[in-house]
Parts: sequence; structure tokens; C-alpha cells
Amino acid sequence: MQSQTVSDPEVTSQAPTVRPILEARSLSKSYGETHALSELDLSVAPGDIYCLLGPNGAGKTTTINLFLGFIAPTSGQALVADLDVAEHDRETKAYLAYIPEQVMLYRNLTGLENLEYFAALAGKKLEVDQLRSTLVEAGLQSEAIDRRVSGYSKGMRQKVGIAIALAKEATALLLDEPTSGLDPKASNEFSALLEGLRERGVAVLMATHDLFRAKETGTRVGIMRHGRLVAEMSTSELGHSDLERIYLNHMRE
Amino acid sequence: MIIRIARKELTDQLRDGRFRASALMVGALLLVSLGAGWTQVSSARAQLEAAEATARNHWESQGDKNPHSAAHYGVYAFKPRLPLSFVDQGVDPWTGTSVWLEAHRQNDFLMRPAQDASAAQRFGTLTAAGVLQQLVPLLIILLGFGALAGERERGTLRQVLASGVSRRDLMAGKAAGVAGALALLVVPAALLGSAALVLGSTATGSLLARAVVLAVVYLTYFGAFIGLALAISAWVPSSRTALVTLLSLWVVNGLVAPRAAVDLSGWLHPSPTAFEFSRQIEEGMANGVEGIRPPDRQAITNRLLQEYGVDSVEDLPVNLSGITLQASEEFGNAVYDHNYTELWDTFERQSRVHESLAVVAPLLAVRALSMGLAGTDIEQHRHFATAAETYRRDMMAAMNGDLAQNSRTGETYLAGDELWVSVPPLDYEAPTLAWVLGNRTVSMLMLGLWLLGALSAAVAGARRAEVGP
Repeated sequence: MQSQTVSDPEVTSQAPTVRPILEARSLSKSYGETHALSELDLSVAPGDIYCLLGPNGAGKTTTINLFLGFIAPTSGQALVADLDVAEHDRETKAYLAYIPEQVMLYRNLTGLENLEYFAALAGKKLEVDQLRSTLVEAGLQSEAIDRRVSGYSKGMRQKVGIAIALAKEATALLLDEPTSGLDPKASNEFSALLEGLRERGVAVLMATHDLFRAKETGTRVGIMRHGRLVAEMSTSELGHSDLERIYLNHMRE
Repeated sequence: MIIRIARKELTDQLRDGRFRASALMVGALLLVSLGAGWTQVSSARAQLEAAEATARNHWESQGDKNPHSAAHYGVYAFKPRLPLSFVDQGVDPWTGTSVWLEAHRQNDFLMRPAQDASAAQRFGTLTAAGVLQQLVPLLIILLGFGALAGERERGTLRQVLASGVSRRDLMAGKAAGVAGALALLVVPAALLGSAALVLGSTATGSLLARAVVLAVVYLTYFGAFIGLALAISAWVPSSRTALVTLLSLWVVNGLVAPRAAVDLSGWLHPSPTAFEFSRQIEEGMANGVEGIRPPDRQAITNRLLQEYGVDSVEDLPVNLSGITLQASEEFGNAVYDHNYTELWDTFERQSRVHESLAVVAPLLAVRALSMGLAGTDIEQHRHFATAAETYRRDMMAAMNGDLAQNSRTGETYLAGDELWVSVPPLDYEAPTLAWVLGNRTVSMLMLGLWLLGALSAAVAGARRAEVGP
């Protein structure tokens, strides 16, 4: 099923003009009679920050899990750099970085050790200096780098997550509610980091409840409900109140 | 990649206070048990050498006496303890390690520490084999139960798998990590044990081969437990379920199965009580067994008179007493052979049942192999007992033969040192490694199957493991 473009004349959906890194083609996932995701079509190009909005159970995390290959689609395809995730699970991971709502790290290791480990898992062998500068670039205070992450705040762990993505040199970033629970300052810092990644040409797919953050950070927004993409729009000509109004309209239907 | 994962696992474990505490405890118990075992074996070997020398001296310097009196005077035979018995005492505390060899009787073994142990000691003896077979698997469970289940719960599994590492490499790395943490504990103990073996005894090639195979056996056992812990951790939904499942398996393996094996083997192949066995021997001595009757002194006399063509025993060129005593000895041997062969065969059948039950508990396989390689299993006890009995029979035949050939019937005859010295001391050779392993093919097969099955289950579990919410 094709995504529905909202009928509101002020809102338009702009398909990416360059070849997408992330692409869903009629992607569906069912658990018995429950349709977690139905006929999703979307694409995220380099330099695009696509925000998936929707209530719990709308299918946002299912979409991300399908791109990560953590679950298999019932039908359709999740493509990463034109490779079907279901058939090229490991190859597609080379393009991806993933930051969940809570970046979970190894408590007994330091921030530096965690970064070194996850970079190594991704096949990247970095020198200590490179690891340190990556963490600093991700916004982690230098005095925290050699501390065990058991003492890290959520925001600090998110920064290590960003550092992992930077170290991996991923071309696509999958974010699942990354700013949930962050204070406004940390959220702003996170948005700035995302913007930096976007400018580097990273394609970002972010599931979020945060309409404000979606409008501020995203280049495009998709609204999901009951496993369907019910609206898709560009944020460039969208005001905050427009997004809220459109979102609430779709939730009422 | 596998090494990198293993290194991280090791670092993570070493920084975990729970691991450090439990490893310290198990390590200390292992070292203490090895030390205690070594001290005990060294002391027993020293006592054995002293006792052997004393017994031989007594035999050679017993003075002039009738050879049959010397046969009753008897000698002691001591089962030599292999140096590796400091790892596993096996059945020695129950079977004993020395036997008194005398005329007419195949005696029970003496020096059975279990006989003198208090009830508390019976359940609380600390041996290296016990630590290796029971406590190390417990440590492996503590190291491995959260390998995947814990990562799934904490959410790190999603992070790890999103990085692109293969599940097989992840599982292999975790297995290597657990093995590495374990090695920190076991390798120093193994090195100390090896040093003790090399420095404290004549390290023959055969002994070193046994030690190497023993190490391989325990490594296989630990490998099977690592595979099992990782498999369960991958297959079950939570680390708590993984821990409970693994602890249940540990209880079955270490506590329930050994007890059940004793009961089941005893039920399938009942062995007589000591009283019953003694009664069967007495019965056989009185009435004979399987068509073998007690010797008829008159018939022997008549045969000899006819053979030598004389009318009275005094005219015989041989001593009738020597001949009849030997006949009596041979009859007794037949009675003992009849009863002991059946008893030993029953023990071996029971041993086979134990080995077969290793299909549900790998401890039964590793225990059988461990005792075998340490030279302390029931088969090697039988091997020595048979050698000692053969020696006894040869010695009795020599005494009776000397009496028969060198004296006449009714004459007072005394033999001297020359006869005693002519009987060589028991020169016992322990069975070869091939002989030991030949007896333990079932256990080796079972242990191999456990390793293969556990590792396969771990790999399959890694492939199918859910990444979690």
C-alpha cells in the first residue's frame, strides 16, 4: 500500500532527489492476526532526517527493527543501500548505526573502552587518540571518557552512542526515541549532533514522540498509526502548530 | 573478532566483584584440595615404601621354620599409588590399598580410610576431583548464564548485533571469554599440579601421558558446561530463567544422577553384602563349587602310593603334607575364583551402568575417566588385587612345593633364609594408558557427545536468539 499524502494543501511530501540509503517497499510485519506494520513505503536519502511520528504501537520501532534485521518482514522489503536486509543482514549492517531510546553500554567498561569495543565489532580499529577525539566530537566531556559508564547519565550514554555512529562512519542512522527522557539542553545538543551528521550526508531515520524535535531537526516527517504511514510531509514549510494540528487530526480519525 | 569479544568479556568479568569473589573461593578450594591431596599421597607413598621394606625384611628374616608355617606367617602387598591419585582418590578410600597374603585365604583389602571416617567426613572430604567436577561447573554457570539473556535484558544485545558482528562470532567470543576467565583459575592450579608431578615423582612418559589425557578430559567437561550455559542463556527468555535452569541441571548432574546411578546399578546388578559374600565362601569351602569338591586326602595318598610304587606314606620320596596342602590351596583358589569373579564382574557391570547414565549427567563420564586416569577406579583395583592374588598363589605353591620336595612325610622340616629370599617381592606394573582408556570408551564417547551437543545447541541458540525489546 502506498503511503497516504495528507489532503491538507499546506503540506507536501518531497521524495528524495538522490538515491535513498534507506528504503521500505510495501514493507509489512504481522504477528498472527496483529498487523504491526502494513505496506510501508518510505525512503531516506543522504542528508535527510526522516522523523517517524506516532503513538505507541504505531509501528515505528517495528520499522527500525526491520531495517536492522532484528525481525523478518512478513512481506515487502527493507533495503539499505539497495541491499535487501532479509538477504544481506551483515552487509547492510556496515551502513547502519543504531541509537535506541536508552543507549545500553557495558557498565564495567569506560566510555572509551565501550567505544573501542563497538567500533571493533563494526570492523573499525581506531587508535586511542582517534577514539578520544570522536567522543569529544560527540559531546562527551573529556574528564568522563575514562570513567566507567555505570556512572553516566542518559545524555552521556547517548553521546557515546553518537560516537559509535561516528566511529563506524555509518551512512545511515536509525534512532528510536533518542531524546526521550533527555533534558532540553541535552536534547538540543543531541539535535545539533544530528544536524552535523546530516551535513555529512548521513541518512537519518528517527522514531520519536517529540513533535517539536521532529519539526526542528527533521527534514521530513511521516505520521504512523496502526502500522500504517498515514501522512508524509516536508518540514521546510511547516509551522509547529501545523504539525501538531495535522498529527492530532490523524490521531482522532 | 572472536578474540576481541573474548577480551572484552574477560575485562567485564574481572571488574565484576561477584566473579572475583566466587573465583577466589573456588580457586582457593582447588589449591587447598590439590595441596591436601598431594600431601596425603606423598605421605601414603612414603609409608608404603617403608611398610614394603619392613614387610620384606620380616619375611626374609623370619628364621628357620616349616614352609607352611611361613605361608601362614604371610606377607603384605601394597597397591602402589599413582602420583595422579592426588587429583582423584577414586575408590581407594573404600576399597583399601593393602592386602595380607597368607595361606588358604584370599583376604579383603586393608587400610580403607572410609572405614575409619566419621559420618561428617564421608560427605565433606575435599578433593581436587570434587572441586573440578562440582564447583568449577557452578562457576561456569555463574559466568555464562547471563551471556545472551543478560545482554538481551540490558539492551546491549541490540547494540552489539546492530554493529554487524555475526552471531556465531559473538557466541564464540563469549565462550572464549568464559574459558579465559576460567583459565585464570585453572591454569595456575594445573601448573602447580604439573610442577608437583614433575618435581615430586619419577615423571615417566606414561605418567605424563595420563596427566595430559586427564587435562583433556577436564577441559572437555568444562567446554561442555560452557556450551550448555551459553545455549541455555540463548534459548530461554530471561537471565533468571537461565540461572534457575542451569542450577537445576547442575543439581541433577552433581547430586541426583550420581546417587541415582548407585541405586540403579545396584538394583540392576545386585552385589552381595560382606556377610553374604563371606557365607558363600564358607559354603564353597565346605561343599565345593561347580563340581569341584574338597580334596580327598585318602585319594591323594592312594594315588601317590601307586605312582611311587610304595606301601606306606613314610616310604614316599615326597612329603604327603606338602602335596595335600597344595591340593587344598588349589581347591580354595577355585572357590575364591568362583565367588570373586562373579563379584568383580558385578562391580564392572555396575560400573558400565554408571558410564551409560552419563547420557543424562556428564559428571558420571568425567568421574569414571578421572578415576581411571588417576589409577583409582574399581577396574585398576581389580587389576592389582588379581596380581596380588596370583603372587600369593605362586608363593604358596613355592612353600608347599619346597615342603613336598625337600622332606618326607612325618619328618620335622625347617626351611631357611634361602627359601624366603628365593620368593621375589611382588613386582606390580600398573595398567597402561591404553588399557585404562579401553575400559572407558563409553565415558569418552559420552563426554564427546556432551561437548558436541552443548556447542551445537549454543550455536543454534545464537542463531535463533531474540534481540529483545
